[in-house]
Amino acid sequence: MTVPPTPGMPPGPPGHGGRGWPVASLDPIGRARVLAATVPSAAWTEGVLDAPYDATWAWVSDLERSVPLFDTDVRRLRVTSRSDEADALRLRVVATSFGIPVPFDVRLEDGFCLMRAVARIFLVVMAAVPEDGGQRTRFFHMEAVPLPGTASVRRRLQRAVEADFANLSRIAADL
Amino acid sequence: MGVEQLVRAAQRGDPAAMDALVRALAPYVGRICGAIALERGDDAMQETFIAVLRNVRALREPAALHGWVRRIAVREAVRAASGTATPFPAGVEPPPLDPVDVASALDVRTVLASLAPEHRAVLVLRDIDGLSEREVAGVLGVPEGTVKSRLHRARAAFARRWGQ
Repeated sequence: MTVPPTPGMPPGPPGHGGRGWPVASLDPIGRARVLAATVPSAAWTEGVLDAPYDATWAWVSDLERSVPLFDTDVRRLRVTSRSDEADALRLRVVATSFGIPVPFDVRLEDGFCLMRAVARIFLVVMAAVPEDGGQRTRFFHMEAVPLPGTASVRRRLQRAVEADFANLSRIAADL
Repeated sequence: MGVEQLVRAAQRGDPAAMDALVRALAPYVGRICGAIALERGDDAMQETFIAVLRNVRALREPAALHGWVRRIAVREAVRAASGTATPFPAGVEPPPLDPVDVASALDVRTVLASLAPEHRAVLVLRDIDGLSEREVAGVLGVPEGTVKSRLHRARAAFARRWGQ
């Protein structure tokens, strides 16, 4: 496998050119785990949903429909703008939670979704990879208040992500 | 957003910038971790990025990012690979290749797996990353002579395996 040069990084190696050398990778759940380990107050849960990956991610990616169904703290979510980038869809959404409309910037890829409140006071990450040849789905869900000194909210967030995951598990059974 | 801007934003704790930095660095870190840690390369890559983001505030000069990340990636890859390698004992020649094993002999992974992680690290930094022997010694914190001897052994393993 030949790896393309990284922008801002030195060009590929001389000599062997790296051709044929093993290359490690970080799948969407690996990326999510990295954030969970480094963002203040991050609460997360990971497990396997008993539903095919393609159907699960297609359902989750429809944020207007999916989020209010599995996240009971969100009553409504509306996409207000969208733009395509080379490797992702960028959305601006407004999630109404406890009667308060909260705008989010969203980066949506196959298997990865990062939702950051425009005011930078809340973060949601969802990630998924196929399990058992795509017949099931490994899913990772994380929420955080990505500000210093917010560790005390982690327990509350942990209950929320676990409740969300339980809801997702029930919904996935019908996908 | 350029790498320097990403570093500055990640240092401020912006999760979107932290993730963007991971994506920007992933091909480079993947090369280092894959070649050194082999089947544990993905784990090494994850640990590398956790270490990078936990310590990114300590990086005073974003221009030094590349060398700083390289050092962390090599450390994590060697750590992940430790105990997993099955190197040939010193002074013992690898067994001769079976003719039917030619295809796998051409597989770089087969040769790399016969080397200790520390030898793979030298090979990766010198032949994949293009560092001088002195620079490799600096990254690994070993004398230049050690780099030379490890490099010689690593290259000799390739030569033997490839029948050169």
